[in-house]
Formats: sequence, C-alpha cells, structure tokens
Amino acid sequence: MSVISLQPDALSRVVDSLSGETPSELRQRAMQQFIKRGFPTTRDENWKYSDLSNIVDISERWLAQVDDAPLEALDETQIREIQASIDATWLVFANGHLHKELSSALTAAAISVTGIDDATDISIDEPLADLNAALMTDGIVIRIGENERIKKPVGLLFVDRAASRPLTSHARVVVSLDSGSSARFIEYHVSSGDANHYSNVVIDVTLGNGAELDYVRIQNRGRNHSQTQRLSVRLEKDSSIRHFGMDLGGVFTRNDLNIDIVAAGVSAEFNGLYIGSDKQHIDNHTRVDHRVGPATSVQEYRGIMSGRSRCVWNGKAIVHKGADGSDATQTNHNLLLSKHSEINAKPQLEIYADEVKCAHGTTVGQLNDNALFYLQTRGLDRQEAKRVLTRAFATTVVEKSPIVELRQLIASQLEARLDELDDGDSA
Amino acid sequence: MLDITNLEVRTGDTDILRGLSLSVKAGEVHAIMGPNGSGKSTLAQVIAGHDAYEVTGGSITFNGNDLFDLEPEERAREGIFLGFQYPVEIPGVNNAYLLKAAMNARRKHQGLPEIDAFEFLKLAREKMATLGMDPKFLNRGVNEGFSGGEKKRNEILQMAMLEPRLAILDETDSGLDIDAMKAVAGGINALRSPDRAIILITHYQRLLEYVEPDFVHVLSEGRIARSGDKSLALKLEEQGYEWVREAASA
Repeated sequence: MSVISLQPDALSRVVDSLSGETPSELRQRAMQQFIKRGFPTTRDENWKYSDLSNIVDISERWLAQVDDAPLEALDETQIREIQASIDATWLVFANGHLHKELSSALTAAAISVTGIDDATDISIDEPLADLNAALMTDGIVIRIGENERIKKPVGLLFVDRAASRPLTSHARVVVSLDSGSSARFIEYHVSSGDANHYSNVVIDVTLGNGAELDYVRIQNRGRNHSQTQRLSVRLEKDSSIRHFGMDLGGVFTRNDLNIDIVAAGVSAEFNGLYIGSDKQHIDNHTRVDHRVGPATSVQEYRGIMSGRSRCVWNGKAIVHKGADGSDATQTNHNLLLSKHSEINAKPQLEIYADEVKCAHGTTVGQLNDNALFYLQTRGLDRQEAKRVLTRAFATTVVEKSPIVELRQLIASQLEARLDELDDGDSA
Repeated sequence: MLDITNLEVRTGDTDILRGLSLSVKAGEVHAIMGPNGSGKSTLAQVIAGHDAYEVTGGSITFNGNDLFDLEPEERAREGIFLGFQYPVEIPGVNNAYLLKAAMNARRKHQGLPEIDAFEFLKLAREKMATLGMDPKFLNRGVNEGFSGGEKKRNEILQMAMLEPRLAILDETDSGLDIDAMKAVAGGINALRSPDRAIILITHYQRLLEYVEPDFVHVLSEGRIARSGDKSLALKLEEQGYEWVREAASA
C-alpha cells in the first residue's frame, strides 16, 4: 500500500533549517516517523470521511517555495479586535510563531510560560502529531503552579494569514495544571487571506490531582483555510474538565479531542457545536478512555448543516478492564437544513469492565413543521420561525459553554453565522 | 367578523369538511361540538392557516378580508388566535421570548412601538397570577416538560397577552382537572368583550358550565348539522351525538 507523505528531501531541508529550542533529535525522529507512515488516508477507519488530499497539496506547494518566500504580513486589526473583546492573558501564535509583541505580558507569577524544551514529553504518536513535531516553530509550555487558582482566562490565539501563496503552520502547546490548581483556557482560531492555508495544532494538557480546567475552543477560520487540531487531556485523581468547542469557519476542519482518565474521581464534560454551509467539511472525533473508575464523562455535540456541507461526529468511549464505576454518556444531535448536506454520526462504546453505566444517543432531523406552524400562528413569519428554532437547537448546547464571559461573543458569532445560512438558503 | 361559506377541505384523499357554513359576530361566543373525526380540529387548523389541508371549495373572510390570501403569521397579526389542542414543546426558546415576539409582531402590524420590557413583565406576571401560573414558567422553554394542564394554561396566557379579536380554542378543556378548568374558564371569560369573538371547540358540556356560549353548533360529517343555544349542549350530554347524525341524514 502506498504511503502519502511529503517529499523527503524538501521536508528534510525545512526541518534542518528550523533552529530554536526543540531538540533537533526529536525533530528528526518525528520526521522519519512521518515519512514512514505518511498522512492518514480515507482507508483509515478514523479518517474514513475526511480526505486530506487538499492538505497534502497545500503542504507540498508550501515546501516547494518555503526557502525564499518572505513572511506574510499579519492582519493586526483582527488580532486586536479579538483581544479587545475578550479579557484574557493572550498568547498569540501568528503563522505558527509566538508573537511576543501581540502577546500579553505575564503578570501572574502563578503561570509560567517557557519554551518547548521544558516539556517533559512531546508526543509523537500519530502522523499529524509527528508532522507537527518535525515542523513546529515556537512550541510553548504553560504551567499553572500547585494550588494556584487563575481567574483570568489564558487565551491561545492561533492566527494565520496566507495572502499570496500557500502556507502551513504547526503550533504546539503543552499545558500542565499542577495539583489543586484551576484555570480557564480559550483556544481561538482565526485566519485571513485568499491563498490556501493549513494549520496543524497539537495541544497536550495534563491535569494534576484535583485540578480544574474550563476550556473553550472557537474556530472561525477563513473559508479557504484548513486545519487539523488535536487536544489531548490527561486527567489525574479527582481532576475535572469542562470543555466546549465551536466550529464555524474553515473549508476543512478536523478536531480530535482525546480524554484520558487515568485515576479515580475524574469528571469530564465536553460539548460542541458545528455549523457547516456551502462545501465546508467539519469532523469532530472524540475519544474518552476510562482507565480507572469511578469517573464520569458526558459529552454532547450538536451540528447544523446547510448547503453541501459535510460533517462528521465520531464519539468513542472505551471503558477499560477494571474501570468499574465508570459512567459515560454521549449525545449527538444534527439538524439538516438542506437535502444536499450530510452528517456521518457514529457513537462507539467499548466496554471491558463490569460495573459501568454507559449511554449514547444520536439523532438526525429537520426543523419540526409543527413547531414552525405553532410559531407562525403566534405572528412570527416563516423565516423568523426557522431562525428561532435553529437558534434554539444551537443554544441548548452553547449554554453549556463553561466560560461565562464568552457567552456574549459566542452568541453574536452564532447569530452572524445563522445570517449566513439564511443568505445561503435564498441564493 | 368571521364568515365561513360552504367550506370544503380535504387532506390526502379524505374529504373532511363538506360545505360548512358559519358566521361569527363580534361579542359572540360559539361552541362547536361533535364526535371524533367530525372535522372540528380541521376547521380550527384551516382558519389558522395550516398547509396540510387543501381547501377545495368555499370561502372564509375575516372582517371582510379573504383569509386564504394571508399566511398563518398574517392571520395572527390580524388578531386570530388558535389555542392548540396539543401545544408544541419548543426546547431552547423561552416562554417570555415567544410571548414578547408574538406581542411585538402584532404591535408592529398595528403600527405600535415594541412593548417596554418592564411593562411586559408586569403584564405577564399579572396574567399568570390570575391563571394560577408560577412566574418561573416565563423562563422555561415553551411548553417544555409542562404537564397537560400547564400547557393549556400557557395557551390561555398567550391569548390573554395577545388580546386577539378572534380566539379559537381547540379542546382547551380536555385533560384538565377541575381547578385547571376553572382557571382556564376564568381566562376565557376575562377576555369576553363586545369587540371580540370566541370559538370553543369541545367534546364536553363541562367547560360550557363555566363559559356560557351564545350559540352551540354540532358538527357531523363535515357540516354543521344542528345549531342552537346552550340547551343544545345539555341535550348532547344526555343523548349523545347519534340523534344528530340520524336527524341530519333523515
């Protein structure tokens, strides 16, 4: 079987040229691994519906001209607008590089941000993580000290710009919340420019004993841009995470959320909303490993699809042998607004323990005609009634977003997105 | 106010209304009774504008305007209110939002400004108190997880807030215990006025003890088979619908 990789010589030249803090030995190993295994393909069960051909193409074209091209100018207005609308300690990754001037000065001694060489472990375990490790520019390590409770959110802003030529960026963040600490993180993806762009972000989080993390991811990339993103969270004893992810933009998006429960008393809640239109492709793969019980994981993802968009939700829960007292719930609801849109929804439960409680439910449907008529008889016109029901469908999961200060922003982005769907309908 | 002439309606291959005529004037309360399947609910849905029914003949005018020219929402804004037999649950849309949106749609149509938030709350609380509803219902999803009685009270609340010119209440009394029945009847009576008409669709005479109708009609096989005053309802209660059917076919 042929492997779809990148030109080894071109890749090697770029990897060699990347100086910086990453141990070059790790880069080389990651690169070799990647060359050997190549990109995932649709023959891979986990990538069945998500074809990376376009991303391979962007990467190849980027490699072919990476040496002599100047850096892209950033859209600083976009960045400042986001920073002005959300009060957070911002770390800005611009085209994969940590942008010190646009990043906030760290005032809290409780947080330390250092270079990637401080990471105890840089995961190279999957092709895209390997590619990321080989090509990452400024990886960072964020550490919240023991028993520190950080109120102000830490914002990771991934902003890319590809105006004149295809670009890729590979950012890597390692986060650890030491025992007894708590923090709130915002992961925000935006991009601009009409050229193709591929962003490949890998974030590894470890929660120490009793640590608490609230995490919101917003993806609103330009419509010409692709991303793969992996967030892995390892949860130690009595730790907890509440996560919400929202995908609105991009032409191709693949999110992997891996929750690894390694000790008892863990609580993990992760929710998401994806809205696809035109020819957008949005794929959310979640995986939760219950290795030890008792522990609880609850997830709810909702999707709205219009145009010729294609979405994927694959929720996997594995209750390992001996993880008694595990409680895993997964829910996925989809609203298809167009007969040309598509959802591939798959809940997967693998249970190897005896004393467990697991449940899953998936629905795919259209707007309820009775509800539309009911609203019309109350004086709302049909278009407005559709909007009210669509918004309500989304709001049910948006309300689970754990960072209250972001609700206004999320609501207004949602509203703008629903406007676009309306425009698409009438076109 | 409402004039229905020789109305013929079908759904799929089934004729449901077969030449129904009815005239309702401002200030009147009409009760429409009849056995299951006689077309009572269809009549209500057709007046409100449901598109599942095909009108094959006849006309309906509302204050002189052809109702079939109007979308359901336009009929609502003109002042037609349908209290549903099975109110729809709409999770994620809260009751206060819907009430306000409905009132403002009507007000906009009348050339009035949007209702003031404070005034709205005051009015809603007042109406809810008279219906024996907990104000907390305002912040719940529309009919979400409501009991049968709560849903019906909620319909009456919407009616009370909207102050329609014509209210059609489709089996609002079904499934209500005596307290809920009294609350609902109180809500209906509060709305009686010389410039408003009410049509009560009901199976039972019980509601009519609390809301006295000016006219009672019996619907049978898609037509009004008999009309009379409130004593007709009592007779139906005693003798059932069979004699109406026999009299109609004789």
